[in-house]
Amino acid sequence: MDPVNPWLDPSEVRHLAEQLLRPVAPARLSAADPGFDASFVGFTSGAAVHVVPEEMSPARIIERQVEPEYELSPPVAAAVSQPAEVPEPPPTAPSRTRFLQRVYIFRDWLAKNFKAKDIFILDREGKVIFDESGHGRLHFMARNLAIASRGSGNIHVKIGPSAILEVIPCETPYGRIVLGALVPDSLPADHIQTITEVLIQTASPA
Amino acid sequence: MSRKHPQSIALAKRRRKDFRCDARAVISANSLSNRRVISIAISSQKGGVGKTTLSINLAHAFARAGLNTLLVDADPQGSVGLSLTRQSRLLSGFYDFLADPGIPMERLIVPTRLETFALVAAGQASDYEAGNGSSGSHLARVRAFLRNAAARRYDICLIDTAAGLFGVTNDIISSADAIIIPQQAEPLGIRSVPKLLEGLNRLRIINPRLNVLGVCLTMIQQGLAESTEAASALRQLLPEEMLFQTAVPRDEIFIRASAKGLPVGVLEDGKGAETVFDSLRAEVQAKLSKSRGAATYQPH
Repeated sequence: MDPVNPWLDPSEVRHLAEQLLRPVAPARLSAADPGFDASFVGFTSGAAVHVVPEEMSPARIIERQVEPEYELSPPVAAAVSQPAEVPEPPPTAPSRTRFLQRVYIFRDWLAKNFKAKDIFILDREGKVIFDESGHGRLHFMARNLAIASRGSGNIHVKIGPSAILEVIPCETPYGRIVLGALVPDSLPADHIQTITEVLIQTASPA
Repeated sequence: MSRKHPQSIALAKRRRKDFRCDARAVISANSLSNRRVISIAISSQKGGVGKTTLSINLAHAFARAGLNTLLVDADPQGSVGLSLTRQSRLLSGFYDFLADPGIPMERLIVPTRLETFALVAAGQASDYEAGNGSSGSHLARVRAFLRNAAARRYDICLIDTAAGLFGVTNDIISSADAIIIPQQAEPLGIRSVPKLLEGLNRLRIINPRLNVLGVCLTMIQQGLAESTEAASALRQLLPEEMLFQTAVPRDEIFIRASAKGLPVGVLEDGKGAETVFDSLRAEVQAKLSKSRGAATYQPH
C-alpha cells in the first residue's frame, strides 16, 4: 500500500519543501519607506547585541535592549488628557459583506483619517490576516510588541524620522488580533479607542 | 590481537588531523570574522522519532572532529541530560536561563571527558516551562543564550528541542542558523510532514536566514517492509536536497548506549554506528559550506 498518497497531496508537499530550500529575501523597505533605514531610531543599535562580555550579566543586556526600545502607551481608558478631534467611523458595511471587504473599508478609513499606511492585521498566532506592507519584519516586531504589552494597551515604536509603527492589540469575537500601521505621529488615546472600536466592529461577524 | 604498523598509525593520525582541519575550516568559514557559533536546532513535528539519539551522536561526531561543540537539551523531557549523566536532573540548565538570564553560563555548562564536547541540561525550570508560553515570549532570552555560547567560543551549538512547532521550540528555530529534521521512517510520521513544512515556512518569515539543512530519516528497519516503503516514499516526495543521504537505522546499540549514558561511538562495538553520524556530520558541513556565500549572518 502506498503510505503517502492517500494521506497527503505530493505536489503541495513538494512545493512547501522547495519553498524552504529557496533563500528568503529579507524584508527591505524602499528608499521612500521610512522604516529600517540608516535613521532607524527604535530598538537596539547593533553594538549592544554582539558578543556579551564575560563580566556583563545577560540580564543587564536584556534590560538594555528593552529599556529604550518602545514606549508603552498608557491604557486607553486611563489617559484622556487632551481630547483630539475624533474622526467619524466609516459607514457600516452591509450585513452580508465579506470580512475582507470590511477590512478594506476599515483600511481606507484608517488611511484617510490617520494618514496610516502599510496597514496589516495579525491573528492571535501572529499569522497575517491582512497585509499591505509586505514587510515580515514589521509583522514580527508588531507581534513581539503585542506580546510585550500583555494586554495593557497599544504600543508604538519610532522606526524612522517620521514613521511610527503603531501596534493595537484588540479582543474580537474571533480572538485577539493585532493591528499594525505606520503613522507619522503617535496616536492619542481617544483615537486609539475609536480605532479599536471600529476594528472590533470590522472583525465581528456580520 | 593485531598490531597496526607504525607507519599506518602515523598516516591515520595525519588523516585525522587533516580531517579536523577541514571540519574547522568549513565551520570557521561560516562563522563571523569576529567569531560566532553556528546554532543548529534538531526539531521534529512528532515525538519519539530519535531526535535525542541524533542530537547526542551528531554532537559527539562534531566534537570528535575537533570542533568545540555545545549540546543543549531544550526538550523539557530532558532526554539528553537523562541519557548522559545521572546527576543531570539536578543541574541548572537551559530553561533556568530562560527563567533567569542572570545565571552565569558557567553554572549551566557541563564538561565531558571529551575536551571539545560540553552539555547544557534542560534544567529545573523545564517542568513548568514545558510547552507553555506563546511563541515569541522567550525569543530575546534564547538569543541571549546563543550570544553567550558564542562568547565562550563554541563552534557548534546543537539544540535538541521539544517535539512540535510551538512555544520555546519556535523561539529556538526563530533564532537558530539552521535546522535538521529527524523523521521516523514510518507511515504515520510521514503524514505529519506537510504540517511541519508549513510551520517552517511560517517561521522563516521571522527568521529568514534559517537554513533548512534537511530531513534525516531515522529508525529505519531494513527487515520491515512498511519502514523501507515509508523511507522510499519520503525520498520520492521531497526534493533530493531536502533529504540527507545518511539515514539512521533502528539498532539495539542505541538503547545500550543510552542505558550506559554514552554516545554510541564510545561503546566497544559502536564504531559502525559512529560512522553513520560521521557521515551525517560530513553532510551537514557540506550543506553549511554550500550555503555560506548565500547567508550572511546578521546578529540579532
